[in-house]
Amino acid sequence: MNSNLPVPAVISTIRPLTVDTSLLTLFTAPSCSVAASFLPGQFLELSLPGVGEIPISYCGFPSQDGSIELCVRHVGHVTTPLKAVTPGDAVGVRGPFGRGFQLSAYTGQDLLLIAGGLGIAPLRSLLLALLHRRELWGRLTILYGARESSALLFLDELLELQKRGEVELQMSVDQPKHCLDGPPYCRIALLPALLDQLSLDPARTFAAICGPPVVYPLLISRLQQMGLSGEKIHLSLERRMKCGVGRCGHCAVGTLLCCVDGPVFSLAELAGIEGALA
Amino acid sequence: MATKFIASHNLAALLERLRKNADLHGPIRGDDGVVRFAAIAPGILPDFSAVRTLLPPKKYLLHPQETILNYTAEAGYQMPVEEVQQLILFGLHSCDLAGINYLDQIFLGDEPDPLYAGRRSALTLVGVSCTPDEFCSCHQLDSPLKALFDLFFNIVDGGFIVTSGSSRGVELLERVKDLLEERGGTVPEDTRRYFGHVVAEQVRPEPDETLPEWQELADRCLGCGACSICCPTCYCFDVLEFCGLDSCSASRVRQWDNCLFKNHAEVAGGINFRKSMAERFRYRYRHKYRGFGSLQGIPSCVGCGRCRSVCPAGLDLRPLAERLEGGRRE
Repeated sequence: MNSNLPVPAVISTIRPLTVDTSLLTLFTAPSCSVAASFLPGQFLELSLPGVGEIPISYCGFPSQDGSIELCVRHVGHVTTPLKAVTPGDAVGVRGPFGRGFQLSAYTGQDLLLIAGGLGIAPLRSLLLALLHRRELWGRLTILYGARESSALLFLDELLELQKRGEVELQMSVDQPKHCLDGPPYCRIALLPALLDQLSLDPARTFAAICGPPVVYPLLISRLQQMGLSGEKIHLSLERRMKCGVGRCGHCAVGTLLCCVDGPVFSLAELAGIEGALA
Repeated sequence: MATKFIASHNLAALLERLRKNADLHGPIRGDDGVVRFAAIAPGILPDFSAVRTLLPPKKYLLHPQETILNYTAEAGYQMPVEEVQQLILFGLHSCDLAGINYLDQIFLGDEPDPLYAGRRSALTLVGVSCTPDEFCSCHQLDSPLKALFDLFFNIVDGGFIVTSGSSRGVELLERVKDLLEERGGTVPEDTRRYFGHVVAEQVRPEPDETLPEWQELADRCLGCGACSICCPTCYCFDVLEFCGLDSCSASRVRQWDNCLFKNHAEVAGGINFRKSMAERFRYRYRHKYRGFGSLQGIPSCVGCGRCRSVCPAGLDLRPLAERLEGGRRE
């Protein structure tokens, strides 16, 4: 398959998650590798004909039927027009690209998933993969923060998993806004504060983090205080990956390329690289 | 060692012969005094006295702006089919040959870029010897990049000593053998000797952010991007999509981009990972002297001197590179 050429896909469903965020399901050909063979944390390039192409993290689980789930916030030059698509509309997809979360390294370990805002999208993909082989991993803890309770995504799914005892869930919102009650397991606090009440075994815990760049420094220093080494803190970085194949030059992090060497990096790999976490 | 020699007065005939099977381009001085790679018209000789052209030969392999995909509602996205004409570039200096070697490593390899690969396979490289001027730095840093060529012309008294570097070069010589003379003696030294070195792998610390030079460069930089436009190894590109007037077709183009532009590392939502000019300078420095991704550790500066010669603010990364990278030979 030529990774420079988008393959056709069709929008199947558009599920509004919040006022500005939707879960799109699209279908490409059955067994198409864009849908069938990706690791959580990898990304694809989504083309909206006549508008442009953007990198988006996978949000779902690999499928043989050609379906792909993508969580999209309608704020950019492609994602804003994407708000107007309807089922049956044609799009294009290329991928999967980059290096995702290294599931094999997590075998037998506890996993701490930390998501800020839209960062829940790639971590949902990771969570689905972990739940698929639940017996392979130890404790699964999810810390999830959003700016307000109405911006918490996939709340039903997360609460259901908590109820079934599959995961331990803690959430936070920056401000209460109109919703005074808020969902259960949710505090009014900044995301890193959720770590304060958490106990973990640093020797057998990996942290997988995805969120806006602003939360990384505080989360990382707190995790390091808790004894996690740089090798065990895995971060998904956001960059402008225009080509996906290491050529356009936009996504460089130091001398690493986010689209090829990342977007998931261990903290140890990013040590000393200017601007990696800024 | 037997070498081939062609007398200066036979050069026009040789060029005429080459032009029969391919387009022939070389350094030509225009009416405006600017030397650029352009078609060598019959009766015109390439300008061998020019130390550098304004733009490097990358323009033949990566067009400043080019369509990479076409979209129609019926066929979806399709790659454009390009008719490629055989092209001989006559008069490339070693630095430009090494620059093409670098681009080859980016755009060929495991999954070649179709447009680049098509044009590259139709390209014949004819090098010519040169004498570095005050802007050149090929002689100051060992480069692991190879100055590969099909033919190379060493300028000597009365003509050129010709060396072939590939089977295509041997074939070309065969076609013009009646214009060549056998000569004894050795090929004189030329700038090719600065390329193709095994550079010892060494762990270098990240460029020190606290050096005052970064801010000094940033303060004077106009952000015009001329340095990367004229760099033979700058290949960053932006990708844009244009909707057709029928609103159901589209074309996607890529165009040369520039790491000193403010939006180079900007993402949706306005977050910029290289906000300041000093950060962008360090990015440029890393790419030129440290390499990215699979080419990490391979400096991409070939020392052609174009960036220094065109910079309207007279900026020069070279003194910093000499300090941080070492390897100065002469």
